[in-house]
Formats: sequence, C-alpha cells, structure tokens
Amino acid sequence: MNPRKIWKLLHGKRGVSAVISNVILTGAVIAVSFVVLAWTQYRSSAYNDEYSEAMDADIARLKERLAFEYVFYDQSGSTLSVYLMNCGTINDTTVKTVYVTTSTGEPIEVFSSTTLRYFDGNEIPDQDLDRGEEGYFTLSSLGLSADTSYSVRVVTGRGSAFDHTFIA
Amino acid sequence: MIGTTFMVLVMMFLGTSVFLWTLSQNTLYNEAVRTTNQEEINRVNEGVIALGGNYSVSGDSVTVLAVLKNTGSVTAQLINLWVLDTNQSKYANKLVNLNLNPGDIEPVMYAVLIPETHANNTFVSWFVTARGNTVPLEREFEEGVTVAEVAQGIGYLAMDFDKFRYYEYASAYGLKDFPAGSGGYSVPATEHVVFGVKLTNYDPTGRKRSLTLNSHSLIWMYFPTYGKQVNWHIVNVDANGTVQPTYSAITVGYQETTTVYFASKSDGSFSGMNDKVKPGSGGPAAINLLLLGTIGSDEYGQNIPFVSVYCS
Repeated sequence: MNPRKIWKLLHGKRGVSAVISNVILTGAVIAVSFVVLAWTQYRSSAYNDEYSEAMDADIARLKERLAFEYVFYDQSGSTLSVYLMNCGTINDTTVKTVYVTTSTGEPIEVFSSTTLRYFDGNEIPDQDLDRGEEGYFTLSSLGLSADTSYSVRVVTGRGSAFDHTFIA
Repeated sequence: MIGTTFMVLVMMFLGTSVFLWTLSQNTLYNEAVRTTNQEEINRVNEGVIALGGNYSVSGDSVTVLAVLKNTGSVTAQLINLWVLDTNQSKYANKLVNLNLNPGDIEPVMYAVLIPETHANNTFVSWFVTARGNTVPLEREFEEGVTVAEVAQGIGYLAMDFDKFRYYEYASAYGLKDFPAGSGGYSVPATEHVVFGVKLTNYDPTGRKRSLTLNSHSLIWMYFPTYGKQVNWHIVNVDANGTVQPTYSAITVGYQETTTVYFASKSDGSFSGMNDKVKPGSGGPAAINLLLLGTIGSDEYGQNIPFVSVYCS
C-alpha cells in the first residue's frame, strides 16, 4: 500500500459512518451467534447421545429377567449348579458376576467368570441366554455347610441383579 | 437488536428441540415400564396347579403322573419338568411343551431318567412355565383320596377292584388264559380255580416300609346260603402262569403294585391236583382276603372283606 494512504488512514480525523458501524456490529453479533449456535448444538448433541445411551440401557435392564429353575449344591463335590431361564423380553442376557452369600448377606465367594451350558451339558457358543433360552453354570470349591440357607446373586452384563435362596 | 433477537430465537429453538427430544425418550422409558409391569401382572396371574402327583419307577426311569389345571386368568405354557430324588440327591429334567388356556385341565405323564433310583425313594417335582413361575406337583395322597382308601379302617394294602381275576387250570400247574384270566365276580362252581388280586402297598405312616406276605395269607369264601367255607392259600405263579410247588414270601414295596395269586388248599405248598380248590357250590358268596406277614420289622395282618362273587 502507498505509505501516504496509510499515514492518512492512521492520522485522519474523519470517523466511519453510522451505517457502516451498525453493519459491522450486527455482523459481529451474528458471527458470535453462529459460534454460540454451533457450540450449543455440539453440547446438546452430546447430551442427547449420553441421555439416549442411558435410557436404552435402563430400558434393556427393565426387560431383563432371569428365572431360577433349580439351584443344587452337591455336597460331595462342593459344586453349586444354577439352572436359569431367560424369561425376559430381551436377547443376549449374559452372566457377568455371581455372588454367593450367607442368608444374612455376608459374602462367601464372588465369581466373575462362569461358563454357560445348555441343560444337556454342551457349552452355549455365544455365552448368553436369548429369550426363552435355558442354561446353567456351575460354581466349584464352595465348601458350604449342609442344611444351611445361602443366597446366590446373578448379575447380568447389563447390570440387572437376580437373587435366589437355596439350602446346601 | 437484530443480532440479539436472532440469538434468542436460536436459543429458544435449541432449548425446545432438546426438551422435546428428552420428552420422547421419557415416553419410550415409560412405555418400557408399562410393558414390564403388564408382564409382571401376567406372571402373577398365572395360576397353574399340578395335582394328583404319582410316581412309578421302572429301572432308572421315573414316570410322573399329574393333572394340570390352569386356574389363572392368563394362558400358560409349561416348558420344563424337574424331578428330584431326595434319597440320593439326584435330579433330572424333562423338556415339555404344553399350553393351557384358562380353565384347561390336562392329565399328563412324563418319564425322566434318574440313575440308581428306587420305588421306595421320595420324589419331589415341579413344572416351570415360560414366564418363569414354578408349579410344584402335589402328591396324590395329600389330596386325601388314597389316604381315605387305605387309612380309614381298611389297612395299608389297597386292592384294585377292576383287576380281580380268576383262572382255570390248563394243566396240573399251568393256568389258562394267563395273565388276563376272567373277571372274578362270576365264578364256575364246579371247576378248580385260582384267584388273582392286585394289591398296592400305600403304607400311610410315612415310613415307606415294604410289606411281606407269608404263607398263611388266604382267600376265604363264605356261602351264606349253606354256611359253607372254602379257602385258597397264597401261592407263587411264575411269568408263564405256572403255579410253584413251594411258596416263597412275596414282598410288596412301598407304592408298588403286585398281583397276588391264591390257589392252594395247603399252607405254603401246592402239589397239583390234591391242592386244587373249587367253590363246590352255587349261589352268592362273600370273599374275604386274609393277609398276614410283616411290614418293615413289624408283624402285620389285614382282613379285606372286599368282594362278592356268584358261583354257577
């Protein structure tokens, strides 16, 4: 740029007109508005996703239900067999953790890895129970006292908990 | 001013859309809760009962008889039967697929395999429905039917009236038309006959003892018209229908049913022609079943004044 013009612009006494200043201000506000819009859109979208995930998880948990068909403790082998059926309205119910407690709730053993089998003894390939599907798992080395009441709690992969009381 | 208005409108739009979206999600959740509650109500209203439970054992096979009634207000699907042999803590299950409408009554019979089981053992069983409810099977005697038959002044052994039979001889020791025989209520007066009686040991004391019949057990026929009496002592008859010359004690296990034969004039033996018995007179006659022996380690005696016959 010509140095004369630069000097004139910096040391000139005339201000910009009101129209131009309004245009500049309005443009600035609209620009900021778009930034705020984008930001709030991003935040609300993230909130929607989180809320949707939480809601879906809650709904899935609501639909889960496991029925205990039979719980049998073999004194000679110290093995607990838990026979289950998925009588809920959702597929893919997994067994994540199993707690064995006394009747007063004091923990005895926690099992975080169980193998689900069909009632004929074959392993269930996908290790979950679909709707109406039956299966069982065994817990070994428990050492429970005969004729004593215990509880078993099955926690599913979705976080639902199902309790059953049995006598060893 | 324009920018501010625009910004407010944007904020309102965003707020409204988030609110509506949240509302729709809550609606979805409420719908899921409503559906789950309805299923829970259906589960509670499922009212299947299993009555008349009876167990019979053959080898390792336990046959379960029951009458299922759906007394609830919703249909029910039975998917599994569990049978537990409490004596040896062994169990088995049988997949079933039975649908019951409200009010349906369905007699069922299922067999499960429990290794090394025995008729004297105690069994407990229950059905599982598709909704996850369990239906315990109530034993027949708990309803009072069987107990009334054997405990109210009659005794531990019960007799099956439909299976009262008589047999004529085909040879010195062989029975004619064995094992079907002929209905025992009309008997030839002048022929040698053998009576067959089907007995069941219901020992209602809860001790589940076996009952052993000794050689003094007999059928006693009495002709009121003549005051005449005829006796048939208990005998053993093999699977071919041949009466055995020597009697060896017959044991009826708890809840077992056995056909017992009465043929001999002598106590404890049967020598063919000399020991054969015939009514010898015509007309109506009363028959008493005099049973003697032991139940468990105790002595036992029972008199069943059970049928009338007509000899012709």
